[in-house]
Amino acid sequence: MADFFAAFSNLFQIWPLTLLAIGVSLGIVVGAIPGLTATMLIALTLPLTFYMESVNAITLLVGMYVGGISGGLITATLLRMPGTPASIMTTFDGFPLARKGQPGRALGVGITSSFIGGLISWCFLAGLSPPLAKLALRFGPWEYFTMVLMALVMLASLAQGSMIKGLISGCLGMLFAMPGMDPSLGQMRLTFGFHDLDAGLKLLPVLIGAFAISQIIKDAVEIDWRPKMMSVSRRGIIVGFQDVKRHGINMLRSGCIGTWIGLLPGIGANIAAMMAYTTTKNLSKEPQKFGTGHEPGIVSAETANNSSIGGAMIPLITMGIPGSVVDAILLGALIIHNLQPGPLLFTTNPEVAYGFISSYLIANFIMFGLMLFAVVHIAKVMYIPKSYLLSAVLVFCVIGTFALGNRFFDVWVMLAFGLIGFGLEYCKVPLGPFVIGFVLSPIAEEHLRSALMMAEGNFLDVFNRPVAVVFLAVSALSLLWPLYQERLARRQREALAAAEPLCQNDSI
Amino acid sequence: MKHRLVTTLAAAAAAMLMATPVLAAWPEKPVKVIVPFKPGGSSDQTARTFQKAITDNNLMPQKLTIVNVGGHYTIGSRQALEAKPDGYTFLLIHKALMGAQGGGMIDFGYADFEPVAETSEFCLLSCVRENDERFTDVKSLLKMATDKPDSLIFGANLGALNHMAGIQLQNTTPGAKFRFVQIGGGTANFTALIGNQTDTTVLSMAEYLNFKVKGVKGLCYMFPTRAPEAPEVPTCKEAGLGDLVYCVGSWWLAPKGTPKEAVDGLADVLEKAMETEYVQTMLKKKAMAPTFTRGEAFAKKLDATYKIVEPTAKQASKK
Repeated sequence: MADFFAAFSNLFQIWPLTLLAIGVSLGIVVGAIPGLTATMLIALTLPLTFYMESVNAITLLVGMYVGGISGGLITATLLRMPGTPASIMTTFDGFPLARKGQPGRALGVGITSSFIGGLISWCFLAGLSPPLAKLALRFGPWEYFTMVLMALVMLASLAQGSMIKGLISGCLGMLFAMPGMDPSLGQMRLTFGFHDLDAGLKLLPVLIGAFAISQIIKDAVEIDWRPKMMSVSRRGIIVGFQDVKRHGINMLRSGCIGTWIGLLPGIGANIAAMMAYTTTKNLSKEPQKFGTGHEPGIVSAETANNSSIGGAMIPLITMGIPGSVVDAILLGALIIHNLQPGPLLFTTNPEVAYGFISSYLIANFIMFGLMLFAVVHIAKVMYIPKSYLLSAVLVFCVIGTFALGNRFFDVWVMLAFGLIGFGLEYCKVPLGPFVIGFVLSPIAEEHLRSALMMAEGNFLDVFNRPVAVVFLAVSALSLLWPLYQERLARRQREALAAAEPLCQNDSI
Repeated sequence: MKHRLVTTLAAAAAAMLMATPVLAAWPEKPVKVIVPFKPGGSSDQTARTFQKAITDNNLMPQKLTIVNVGGHYTIGSRQALEAKPDGYTFLLIHKALMGAQGGGMIDFGYADFEPVAETSEFCLLSCVRENDERFTDVKSLLKMATDKPDSLIFGANLGALNHMAGIQLQNTTPGAKFRFVQIGGGTANFTALIGNQTDTTVLSMAEYLNFKVKGVKGLCYMFPTRAPEAPEVPTCKEAGLGDLVYCVGSWWLAPKGTPKEAVDGLADVLEKAMETEYVQTMLKKKAMAPTFTRGEAFAKKLDATYKIVEPTAKQASKK
């Protein structure tokens, strides 16, 4: 508890608060611009944090994460274009409501829901993380392996669109994680005598390539496209207590769904929003109203996508397993700052573990304030011509990637994965499973092989570990889930078809 | 004819003029040190400690710049190997280079560099859980590893420093055999040890000091004398394991063919930096031994170390 308050009071100083505010505002702006995502921003900011104190770096990045997911609702509401993939579901009801002459109200509902969603998942983050970290100390290689396996299986069954394409994407990601040093014996493999591959393909060049470069290529193709102006007034933006009470149950439910989806390794905010939206619609007495500017639709989508952030941080700080693509970058940030992510983070670096938790809470408050009072101005950034933005981002991509390891090889890797990412998306293969396969398969491999070394190669040893057996059972159930889902999926597909798929990234 | 002779002489003189002053005035431009590890790691911290001491005390007329080369340490080492030996590129590395060499991971080795100096070293301790009643001292640990070979789980990063230390530990007792399992570095090993996943491991002195209050017991210290920070842990020699010493020094190397002036020049600068209060305080803070060797003595130490590392590394890579 003392550590917790120490982290909080540490945050209330000029420099950390400034960083947090900068992070949140940059995040909102980037989140609001279609084509630029929170993932991109955080990946590009990471090299700039090398010389910051680790806690400050985390503060800045968490701020960007919160801002980036929240900012997406602005364009989703005003232009029917999701600023980030996380706000696809917000377009369904946010845009119609705005067009009915209530843009202020539509934004206000979205912003307030985002804020409440953040608070709900913060409660889970703060309440669950410390005991979970204690529990995870007892986890051995079998537990970790089966947990990652569970995540991979769930990812395949929960991914949007075609399951076979999701699987292809995931397997490709796993394949690209193979070359380099064998994680358990320290021997080189699949390097073909090419020494630059000795370290394998690093996470960040691959991520920046797959998410930023591919997006730049895509945007460059449609560079002349300009959004139509929409006049925005702030009328109705302040949402009263009565409204919060009216939507209370929905918020609570969507917040819990969002946190739970976030908690599952590898699945991000967009799936959280979709699950919550569908659930709310299925439970509603008037489902036909969804898609026409119905407030509960906005509430569930925005509560869920923001609450997934807090949920996704739970496995990150307690076990060192990323809950989403952004968390995979945050994991990279911890490693760069020489912090060992995992259950010991609370013991060895409580200031960092609690730094995550306290920054997340304060970032939500800053986001709420900024969005309420500056949303009209932020909305204008989406009219900046893309040609300026894209060239600047490309320069940052190259500098940022080179700075990671002072190797130009990484820049080539980044460019190559930009093309690969663009190609995959062109073939409608989602990128999310690709990245998750890339991030999770080395973790799974390392733990599986450690487990087998401990058990002298005996696979059946897994049945001596009850927790691991539970994870295996959940994995098996998840495989059956898609069959059960088939019925719901048909309805979802119809809803998806209604949205213009401008931002197709599978994950934020 | 005469004309030609004059030209030749002039050219020779010019060549000499061009060649000598470059070296006499070392360093004429910033000196680059490649650290083949990520920023913030222990080698990087050592490099930056020296950099600060050199700058703050004006020990060198030019700047010392540190370039962290990411990825596996063999990548940065290879960059240094292939760098122009002009006296402006150096490498900061440690024993791991020999491990990779002995294990056949790389086709070059320490002998392909000019030795500059060794500044400070950290040494490892054999550790078990504090509440593990089975082991009262290191002898009892090795006895069990002999009585039930291949059953005690030793957490290590296979093929890396802690694995080789474990092999050297078991080699002190004929017939002793640990079961080495891939766990990772110090923090991961501590977690696995405390979580009952493993039975034993080795930790650096700094890691031990950090973890001892949290349930780790040091059995013996792989250094000739007890550490002032942890006088409760006997040396491995006192514990009856002969001359078992396992330390990891910070080695400054230069590409083969680097002029002697530059090699000696950097060694001089490092030796002076070593004496500064800043470096001494930092070393104490990180529980590192303030070792300093250079020149012939350092070259001999490298050869002697490789004699021990090579067979161990081969043993480690065989698995």
